[in-house]
Amino acid sequence: MSESFEPKIVAFVCTYCTYAGADLAGTSRLKYAPNVRIVRLPCTGRISPMFILKALQKGADSVLVSGCHPGDCHFAAGNYHARRRWTVFRALLAFTGIPEERIRFSWVSAAEGAKFADLINEITEETKKLGPFTQYQELQKAIETQSSY
Amino acid sequence: MGIQEQYRSEAAELLSSGEVKLVIGFGAGSTADRRRPLFARTPEESEKLVLDQNCIANLTTYLVAGGLLTDGKKVAVFLKPDGIRSLNILIAESQVKAEQVVIFGFAIENNEVTPLEGRSISDFAKLGEKLRTATPPPSVQEEAERLEAMGSSGRFEYWKEQFSKCIKCYACRQACPMCYCRRCIVDVNQPQWVSTSSHTLGNFEWNLVRAFHLAGRCAACGACDRACPVNIPLRLINYRMGKEVKEAFDYFAGESSDQNPVLASFRQDDPETFIL
Amino acid sequence: MAKIGVFVCHCGENIASNVDTANLVRKVSEHPGVEVCAEYKYFCSDPGQETVKRAIRENGLTGVVVAACSPRMHETTFRKACAEAGLNPYMLEMANIREHCSWVHSDKEKATEKAIEITRSLVEKVKRNNNLKPISVPVTRRALVIGGGIAGIQAALDIAGAGREVILVEREPSIGGHMSQLSETFPTLDCSQCILTPRMVEAIQHPNIKVLTYSEVEEVDGYIGNFKAKIRKKSRYVDIDKCTGCGDCIQKCPVKKVPSEFECGLGNRTAIYTPFAQAVPNVPVIDTTRCTYFKNGKCKICQKTCQIENCIDFGMQDTFEEYEVGAIVVATGFQIQDTTLYGEYGYGRYKDVITGLSFERLASASGPTSGVIKRPSDGKEPETIVFIQCAGSRDPSKGVRYCSKICCMYTAKHAMLYAHKNHDGRSRIFYMDIRAAGKGYDEFTRRAIEEDGAEYLRGRVSKLYEENGKLIVRGVDSLLGKPVEIAADMVVLATAIVPQPDAREFAKRIGIGYDEYGFYNEAHMKLRPVETATAGIYLCGACQSPKDIPDSVAQASAAAAKVLGLFSREQLEREPVVASVSDATCAGCFGCVMACPYNAIDVRDINDRNGNLIKQVADVNPGLCQGCGTCVTFCRSNSIDLAGFTENQIFAEIMAL
Repeated sequence: MSESFEPKIVAFVCTYCTYAGADLAGTSRLKYAPNVRIVRLPCTGRISPMFILKALQKGADSVLVSGCHPGDCHFAAGNYHARRRWTVFRALLAFTGIPEERIRFSWVSAAEGAKFADLINEITEETKKLGPFTQYQELQKAIETQSSY
Repeated sequence: MGIQEQYRSEAAELLSSGEVKLVIGFGAGSTADRRRPLFARTPEESEKLVLDQNCIANLTTYLVAGGLLTDGKKVAVFLKPDGIRSLNILIAESQVKAEQVVIFGFAIENNEVTPLEGRSISDFAKLGEKLRTATPPPSVQEEAERLEAMGSSGRFEYWKEQFSKCIKCYACRQACPMCYCRRCIVDVNQPQWVSTSSHTLGNFEWNLVRAFHLAGRCAACGACDRACPVNIPLRLINYRMGKEVKEAFDYFAGESSDQNPVLASFRQDDPETFIL
Repeated sequence: MAKIGVFVCHCGENIASNVDTANLVRKVSEHPGVEVCAEYKYFCSDPGQETVKRAIRENGLTGVVVAACSPRMHETTFRKACAEAGLNPYMLEMANIREHCSWVHSDKEKATEKAIEITRSLVEKVKRNNNLKPISVPVTRRALVIGGGIAGIQAALDIAGAGREVILVEREPSIGGHMSQLSETFPTLDCSQCILTPRMVEAIQHPNIKVLTYSEVEEVDGYIGNFKAKIRKKSRYVDIDKCTGCGDCIQKCPVKKVPSEFECGLGNRTAIYTPFAQAVPNVPVIDTTRCTYFKNGKCKICQKTCQIENCIDFGMQDTFEEYEVGAIVVATGFQIQDTTLYGEYGYGRYKDVITGLSFERLASASGPTSGVIKRPSDGKEPETIVFIQCAGSRDPSKGVRYCSKICCMYTAKHAMLYAHKNHDGRSRIFYMDIRAAGKGYDEFTRRAIEEDGAEYLRGRVSKLYEENGKLIVRGVDSLLGKPVEIAADMVVLATAIVPQPDAREFAKRIGIGYDEYGFYNEAHMKLRPVETATAGIYLCGACQSPKDIPDSVAQASAAAAKVLGLFSREQLEREPVVASVSDATCAGCFGCVMACPYNAIDVRDINDRNGNLIKQVADVNPGLCQGCGTCVTFCRSNSIDLAGFTENQIFAEIMAL
């Protein structure tokens, strides 16, 4: 793990809470690590486990999934459904050796710009400590070298 | 009269009276200790039915074969307790109508076959409760615990090795009664969520998706595990998923036929300790 | 082939100072499919928008990415610009390089790199965008108001007053609700009947309001602007059109000892009855469980008494009517909790332990005692009354956790009414806190204490028993830290307000949400307090949470305003972000039907040419779908997709990162 390692973090967020919270971090000019790429979805209910797998395939070292706090979902219950899926999918990833520390889940409301900024900083720092997710990335590399035959 | 003879004659009666159009049971297999599914449509054919300790397959798989039940007629099927769980799930997921299935229930304990009482799924309400508290096979539990204790890097290597063997034959899918989708996610190519080539990454994705789609729906019959030609221990992943839904949501797949599917429902106070 | 235009905005210095826009333009220009890429100081300005429009027209662009601020800021602006240039407005994506990039990162190089990645991934997304059309739905400008209490009446009057038709449905024989049972109302002490009855009459006489009493909503189908409501009109056995309300039948009915629900059992009614004298409509109903004819097949005295031919009809059946409505106001009210669960208070065991609602009837001039407060047991006027507040409310162990909100006020009022009617009487009130927030409310409770001698004891009652014709109330005065024992003649319990017994079942029937108690959920507690999560269904009154009259009325008018806002248009335009199902691949497990927070997914039969069922599939009603995508994620066979956020779009977006 070299000093210069800049992790790639992909965040899947709902548009009504966490995306708006990230907007607020912007309008408040809070500074946070530039390592995150945000994918906007209407609701956490729309965030499929497949998204996480594809982000990993594309070299994400960490993934963040974030939405409205329980009870605040713009779509009434999308986040409750999402929470169940996350619980199960997270256990599955952990069991197959994809570290829990790399797949993070949070509730960030439209008012929590500061929480969003802190969260990104924290995840970036922790991912730097974990180092690149080479184990998974090597699987992708193997395909690329194979296909270059 | 032994249970095999009893069920044979009952099956013959059901067929001759026209009560059922088909009896799905077991017949002799290629070797002395193997059984293959037998589809009896006449009383005569039911004479070939076999029931012994080698009848381990989960025959609910054949209930969801395309169009079998669309005519509304009844079918009888030989089921072990895991098959009854599967049937419960299939009913809850609108794949099978409870009134269309006559059950020949049996259990295998210490190489002994004993009958299970009741012919209709509603007769097995108590069984679901009993199975919920039953302990999973110690071999599976111990192996899963050994993996849990490994640390994620070790686990990753373990599964990488296992999944690298996968040849994407989809025998696991074919054997599973819960894999009744007309089109499997892996066959979707717009977009291609799961790489179809059998490289390790694609195999990882396929196996994760398969396990996720079975979370809270697996009756632990072991059909996928037995079907796998390269011996990937799918039972371990399925066991881990079953454990998760039970611990997190107090959910036991196939406990009854009016269960709400675990991932289509929620409770406001579901646990969420992992969410920041 | 995709021809994408990318427009990089400097936002003055807001973006340009921290993102190397020239580099961004250069890099993005090289991206496959990007036809034009331009930068400008302010793309949201008129000349900026003109540039975008010109580029669309001149290059025949198939999609546009504006790399600028948040879509929450200017998506609408640029969608409009696209539409004006002849491009479908949904062929636009906003790359948020301001809020999510230039404003939050100080390292210009890294911010630029991030801006490039964000923009590229949205170029990939927009390549897969589809032409979408806003969904327009017609609006039936007629409202259904469910519940004829004060909230429902107010909402109906407001909507009708603005010239729209209203169907007002009440399940009891008369409108009026709980308010008609009250004696006088806090904080002004005006008589409830005096202020309510004119409203009831106004409602039934209003040319735009159709009042259906003794009727229930059986079924609601459809969606905002287009509901279909099936209503069961229960048979009254009295023809509502013929009856003049003379009351002769009631006078002659031989069954006279039926405990009156309206009087909380403190008075009696007949088998053919109106619940109270001022009932609207003033048309009786026959209680078939009590009527001699219905029980024994003989009697029919009412029919013989009635001067009007065929007005009383023992063969009358329930009838069903269907109404098309565009909006629904739910005002189904509350009930009071069954207080018998408090064994220590002796309710149900001792006749003189009564609920606050019963006390209202005793204090009411039109009540069973003509307004004289008498003990139900022996008719004596009590000398000491003990009031127990929070008899059920704020009690997680036995009752309900929430505060019923109105009890502090009505208990103070009861003490006052009692003092006014019986100058020597003593009121002792056990309370936990006095919650009197509201206009004139605290002044009111102070008046009860200072002018009308209400004695407040802070503490709980632990035991209550009867001794020598007195009710001995044992409790603790927690301010003095001493036990107290009071010999009372009557005990009044401030019973908790709870949802109607069938509140949950009813919510499911019409498709709205409820909380752990059965109170109906608003779409947002603070910002959308009168809407439900189901578009086109609104809430008012105590069905949502315990409320007093001023709050119920205010909320009713607010709900009416929402309805009228909806009715101000003939067509509704909705974002086309809705889900749809692929019939060919749907496996028919119907998990999506259960998971949908809006009940927007139904089961649809697919038949062959001869009408034989081939299979059943899920079917999304685009009028109801709100576009959350929960169903898409649930669907194992990937048979559902969400317009605007399709699997293809998201896949491309991720794979471009």
